[in-house]
This record gives sequence, C-alpha cells and structure tokens, in this order.
Amino acid sequence: MPVARGTERELADAVAAYVATLAPSIAAAEREGRLPPDAIRGLGRLGVLGMTVPEADGGIGASAVAFALVLEELSAVWPSLAVAVSVNSGIVAGSIVRLATAAQRARWLPRLMDGEGLASFCLTEPSSGSDAASLRATAVRDSDGWRISGEKLFVTNARYAPFALVLARVGEADPARPHAGITAFVVPMTSNGIRVGRSEAKHGLLASDTSAIVFDGVRVGRDDLLGEEGRGFGAVALAGLDSGRIGIAAQAVGIARGAIALATAYAKERRQFGRPIAEFQSLRFALARAAVDTDAARLLALRAAWSKDNGLPFGRLAAQAKLFASEAANRATHTALQVLGGYGYLCDFGAERLARDARATTIYEGTSEIQRLVIARSLLAEAA
Amino acid sequence: MKILICLKQVPDSTVRVKVAPGGKDIVTEGMTWAISPYDEYAIELALEVKDGDPTTTVSVVSVGPARARDALRQALAMGCDDASLVVGEASGLGLSRALAKVVMEAKPDVVLCGKQASDDDQGFIGPALAEALSWPHVPFVTKLAGASGAVEAWRETEGGHEVWKASAPVVLTVQKSAKEPRYPSLPGIMKAKKKEIPEREIVSLNVDTSGQTLEIASLEPPPVRGGGKMLKDGDMAAIAADLVRLLREEAKVL
Repeated sequence: MPVARGTERELADAVAAYVATLAPSIAAAEREGRLPPDAIRGLGRLGVLGMTVPEADGGIGASAVAFALVLEELSAVWPSLAVAVSVNSGIVAGSIVRLATAAQRARWLPRLMDGEGLASFCLTEPSSGSDAASLRATAVRDSDGWRISGEKLFVTNARYAPFALVLARVGEADPARPHAGITAFVVPMTSNGIRVGRSEAKHGLLASDTSAIVFDGVRVGRDDLLGEEGRGFGAVALAGLDSGRIGIAAQAVGIARGAIALATAYAKERRQFGRPIAEFQSLRFALARAAVDTDAARLLALRAAWSKDNGLPFGRLAAQAKLFASEAANRATHTALQVLGGYGYLCDFGAERLARDARATTIYEGTSEIQRLVIARSLLAEAA
Repeated sequence: MKILICLKQVPDSTVRVKVAPGGKDIVTEGMTWAISPYDEYAIELALEVKDGDPTTTVSVVSVGPARARDALRQALAMGCDDASLVVGEASGLGLSRALAKVVMEAKPDVVLCGKQASDDDQGFIGPALAEALSWPHVPFVTKLAGASGAVEAWRETEGGHEVWKASAPVVLTVQKSAKEPRYPSLPGIMKAKKKEIPEREIVSLNVDTSGQTLEIASLEPPPVRGGGKMLKDGDMAAIAADLVRLLREEAKVL
C-alpha cells in the first residue's frame, strides 16, 4: 500500500497552504474565464510546475504519489487550476522527461517550470475523440523537417502555452494499422501558421482555458520531434494518458473532498426544525456515503501512483482509479449541493461550481466508458 | 553577511490550547508545533538579505527538546542554509549563555531573535543573549541592511520609522512586519530533507544552565463569554438609562 506521509505529505501541505491564499480570487477568475497570471507564477515559484521534472533538469523529481497528493490539494480548492497543472506538469512534462534528448530537455523543461505559461497537449480533433488513433492532422516531410496541418480541439492551456505537444501523422493513414505514422512534436506557439480559436464556453472548469488550435503548414525541424517518428501514439498518447488518468483521479478526489467539507460545515451550522440539519439521519447517511466513496477513490489513485513510482504496470490501476474517482466526485458534489439546498444552487456558495467541475472528470482523459473498456481488456487478457 | 537566527518551537498559533490538570502547564499531547511567529519574521528578514546578496549565509539554531528539529527543518525548507540543535533545558539566563556559546563558535555578523516567543511572551532571550555576548542590541527591527562592518536596522515607530546603525557583530530582535514570512517551496522541502541537522546535548557546551527561574503559579483559560443581554422594556429614554446603569453597575466600565 502507498504510504502518504513524510516528504510527500509535506509537499502536499505546502501546496495546500499556497492554494488557500488563492481562494478569494477564484470567483472572479471563474467569471472572467482565465487563470490569473500571478497564480501561475506562484505555482512556478513554489516549485509545483517542476514537480515531475528530475532534479538534474531543474525540477524536484517528486514521486507520482506526491504529484497526486498535490493535485488533490489544488482541486479541493480550485479544480480549474489543477487541470491546468495536470496537463502542463503531467502529460507534457512527463512525455518530455521520458522521451526528449538532453538538448531538448534543456530547451523545453525550463519553460514548463518558470510560471510564465502552461504547456498544452494537442490530441483530440473534430472527428477523433475516444478513437484517438483516427486523428487526421498530418506532418508532411519538408526538406529536413515537417509541415504540420490539422485542427485540434479541447486544448487545455492553449492561451497560456509557450509550446504545444502535438500528435500528427507522418505518411498515409492505414486502416489496418491505425497507430502507424503518428508522431509527437513540440511546437512553439509563436510559430507561423498557428491560430488559436476562441476560448470555449464550458459547463464547468471555467477559469481553465479550453480552445481549438488550427495548424496550417506549421514548419517544425528535427529538433522539434519528440521521441521516434511514427511511435508517438504508444509512447506519448497512450503512456501520457495512463499517467494523466492518475492526475484526473486525484483531481476528482480533491473535488469530492472540497464538496464534503462545504456540506459538513453547512450541515452543522444550518438549523431547521429547531436543530442543526446535521442531526437528520438522511443527511448523515448521504455524507457517510460520500466520505467512504472519496476515501476509496483516494486509495485507488494512490495505489496507481505508487505502482508507477515502483516501476509496476499501472495502466489498468489508473483507469480503475479514474473511473471510480470521477463518478464518486459527481455523486459527492451532488450530495453537497443537495445538503446546501437552495444555497447550494446559488453561485456564491461554491457547491454548484464543484458539481459543474466534477462533471468533466468522467469525460476527459478517456470517458468512463473508455475506462471500462481499458479495464475489461486488461482483465480478459489476464484470464487468457 | 553571516546571519544566525535563534529560534524556538512553540504551539502552533492556530491550535486551541488547553490547561493541563494541575493548572501549571498546557496539554502538549497531540500538539501541533511550529516556529514561533516572530522567529518566522526573523527568518524572512534574513532571507530577504540573502535574496539581495547571495553570498549571505543564514544559519538557524534552537535550544530545546528533540522535537524542535522539525522547526529547524521548516526553517531549512524556507531557505536557510544550515541548522543545528542543542537538546536540553535551562533557565532563561542559562539558555542565553548556551546560545552565546553557540554564537561565539559560529561567529556571525548578525544574530536575529524574534522579539518574543509566542508561548511565554517574555521577550527575554534576545536582550539577555546580547548581554551575555557583550554585543550591542537593537530591538523591534523590521528591516536590515549590511554595510562593511556595520548594519543598518529599521525600527517601526508611531507614524514613521527610525534607522539605527550598529557595529557588527550585533543582536537584533525582530518585530512583525508587512512582509509576511515566505512559504517553504517544494524544492526547499526536498533540499531540507537532505541536510544534516547536527545535534548535541546542552551539557556539552559547558555553560552554567542554572539561574533564577520563574515558576508558573497557575494557568487559567479565559472565562467563558456570557450571553448578551437585550434591553427591550420601555421607550428609548428608559432603555438608555437602563443601559447606563448596567454599564456602570454590572459591567463596571463607566
């Protein structure tokens, strides 16, 4: 079992203390639909953005368990901030650390950590979501490099990104081998031919930027290729999503925890029929259910993270954690909203925000349905 | 500049303390401990000097129980360079002598202490340490700058501030200032884990740890606040008269 104490707990506590100071700015930032640059700078100064980057590359090389605990702490207060960090320091930094050359690491990693921006990950397209390998973006050979063309959707951090990690196909699509040719590139957002679409109006996670990016013959060189040509789907998309799912599971745990904290505080204070509503059994049962759900979700998430830290297979564990935690977060936030009653429905009390934010967790980094496919596939392969 | 900070571990200020049975101590079981808040301001003040001049070294020392190691670790995580722990108990004067011995060994240019510890609030150690060292002492400092062989220390005063110059070495006691102590950064926490915190027993310092001791005769929690009283009878003039009478006779504030 993972042990979440000592250094890992201390790192998470330091982040909890920091994010608590951001609480007063959340409502305005969510209304405006943007993360305050100072909040991102603060994360850079604190060292959160470089958590997953090895010490030799200027980060702190913290464990996956520590990163999961930190994402939980961020999410318990501000889920929009957590998802931005999860993409920058999870999928993007993780892929670069795993696959980039020393020169590339020196070029890219400092910009993921300096707090001046947050990197983005471009996989999803108008016609490819869950079926990610059917992507249509192309990277056409052009002298010693490539030209990337295509449209990417649901790009988190598009507006804040110094560069994007982009998956595009080199060569013709082959229906028999859908992964073939898919290649990962790191593309500076200042490149010619990049157009960022409008910031999408979303149901939740309002301060997190989600936009489309259009690539129109964007020139990249050999230095911008991440890993091997044609190996991007397995090495970046699938591997990145496995780790990313631990992050979303941790995010969901944080959201659920934040909702339970709101609900319990309110239930003890709010009096109806001459007593605090916390004394009514129906409400107690609902809170107990949410608490057990959240703890179970946390243990699943930490087990997946611990397995990753210990070099054990964790793809299925991450899918299980993500599936359970995201659905638990949806139940817990709805419980919290119901406990707060009419006040839960008002924007000033925070419960409805967490409920909206939780909704994304059963969708991104693979829907619940995709998680079930991943889990079942692994289960049946074991039985074979 | 070489700065040495003397710090004390105290009950965390967010903890509700309870009086122990016997009424002479507080319940320490399950207590959350922290660096005394004024000592944290001293750390921040020293680290600001270091931010401006990276050749500055900031050391921390604590004389106290073994658990004070956690407070030292926290100071390292905030950015202090090194820490050492002296384990043992002493009277106030004895503690000053022990710290003076540590200071003489470390030979800093500046010694910083919080102006008082938030547990006993005596404000004794800083001035006593300066006395034990025969060094100058500037109290209630909020900002510090170094010049060759001397320091300039800012003191907040009513409606302004004073700048004091003192020859180094010097003891400064630190007052709360507008600059809040920084959070430990994550790299700071990781680095602090790797640093050794040397520890020695107070007896090994060979100083007189005795001295006049103060004894706490009794501790009492503040009285439970009574409920308010609503004055509703009569017209405004009658209520006002009633209020004046109660303030004079019951609350005894007039």
